[in-house]
Amino acid sequence: MADNMEFESLVTRFYASLYQFAFSLTRTEADACDLTQQTFSIWAAKGHQLRDATKVKTWLFTTLHREFLESRRRLTRFPHCDLETAEAELPVVTPAAVSLLDTTRVLDILAQLEETFRAPVALFYLQDCSYNEIADILQVPLGTVKSRLARGLSQLQHLLARDIAVGGHPPPDL
Amino acid sequence: MNRNEAKQILLLYRPGTADGDDPQVAEALAWAQRDAELARWLEQVCAQQIALRAKFRQLEPPAGLMEQIISEQAASRRRPLGRPKVLLGLAAMLVAVLVAVLAAGGFWLHPQPQRANDNTLVIFQNRMASAALRGYAMDLTTGDASGIRDYLGHHAAPADYVLPPALQKAGLAGCAIQGWQGTKVAMICFRTGQPLATGAQSDLWLFVVDRASVAGAPAGSRPQFARVNRLNTAIWTQGDKLYLLGATGDEALLRSFL
Repeated sequence: MADNMEFESLVTRFYASLYQFAFSLTRTEADACDLTQQTFSIWAAKGHQLRDATKVKTWLFTTLHREFLESRRRLTRFPHCDLETAEAELPVVTPAAVSLLDTTRVLDILAQLEETFRAPVALFYLQDCSYNEIADILQVPLGTVKSRLARGLSQLQHLLARDIAVGGHPPPDL
Repeated sequence: MNRNEAKQILLLYRPGTADGDDPQVAEALAWAQRDAELARWLEQVCAQQIALRAKFRQLEPPAGLMEQIISEQAASRRRPLGRPKVLLGLAAMLVAVLVAVLAAGGFWLHPQPQRANDNTLVIFQNRMASAALRGYAMDLTTGDASGIRDYLGHHAAPADYVLPPALQKAGLAGCAIQGWQGTKVAMICFRTGQPLATGAQSDLWLFVVDRASVAGAPAGSRPQFARVNRLNTAIWTQGDKLYLLGATGDEALLRSFL
């Protein structure tokens, strides 16, 4: 695969979205650059092992996520949580209120999510990955992805509502 | 399914994607068509999804990252092969030449995209910023300015550099030598006097390299400022040298050393 696919065109196509995902996980530019670069370095070394060309995107995101987890030396397994356990009542956050937040603030709020939920929520917003692709990338069952998304998006709503309520974002230009 | 359950499922729904093909989501969407209150709620959630997605996507990778990735890969391809791989490498080369000859006609009829130059100023800035920010080992730890010049000169790195007057007064920490396009870069490490991060030995770095090795190096001695990664940098040329001064502090701090 790696021999058949131009490395440069692969980088051109995916580096920005990989960087965005990396940044949403690490919250630092340097670490996000490192993770992105490391991912392509691994592709250069091992990408030939991938037989299905349609899985390149998933492979890259999976690799980046795995590198992130390894870099954090995480040993704990994420617990599965059922969809039913997600909170029923969601605060109302208007699109207009969201528009007043800048990207940095939104990513700060994302960083406040429990780590279990951060990666699926980031993939949900950043890449338009399907639920199945997110499950492949995170290497968890589809049901787990849905439950994590439900809980993560619910947490995000609460955090957004709280942030907007306390004016945690800068006001629009005066 | 009741309304609350439908809401939980529809929270995962992104308009304009294939999410609606998911059986659970499809069922919840059908419910929303029959429930006006749920439909209003869904409309608002979808608008919010679009607004949030736009925010996430506004995050831009730093300038030069793509070129750096490509150049790093190209550089790793150029690294010399180990002895056991030499014969295999030669055989591969012969095959490659043969394939290239056969494919030549097709190549000229269908030109490939030009390979990104990997000796540009942007890549130099990124690579030196990486060296400063992501850990380095000082080859020489000393506050002795002449000792640093002697060390750099002895190792064929630029040693006849000219320091701006303010930088001459900064505390020296030591030096290291970095590689760039087959040449050596002098990395002189200073301390700004601000509290250092845990484990850090310096927070102000001057990189000096032959000007000719960096494509697009600025022509004048007037510093040009740019944010590279988490580093504020100033770059200028003097004589046959290109200088890059970087600091983790703000630009005002950096300017105070120029």
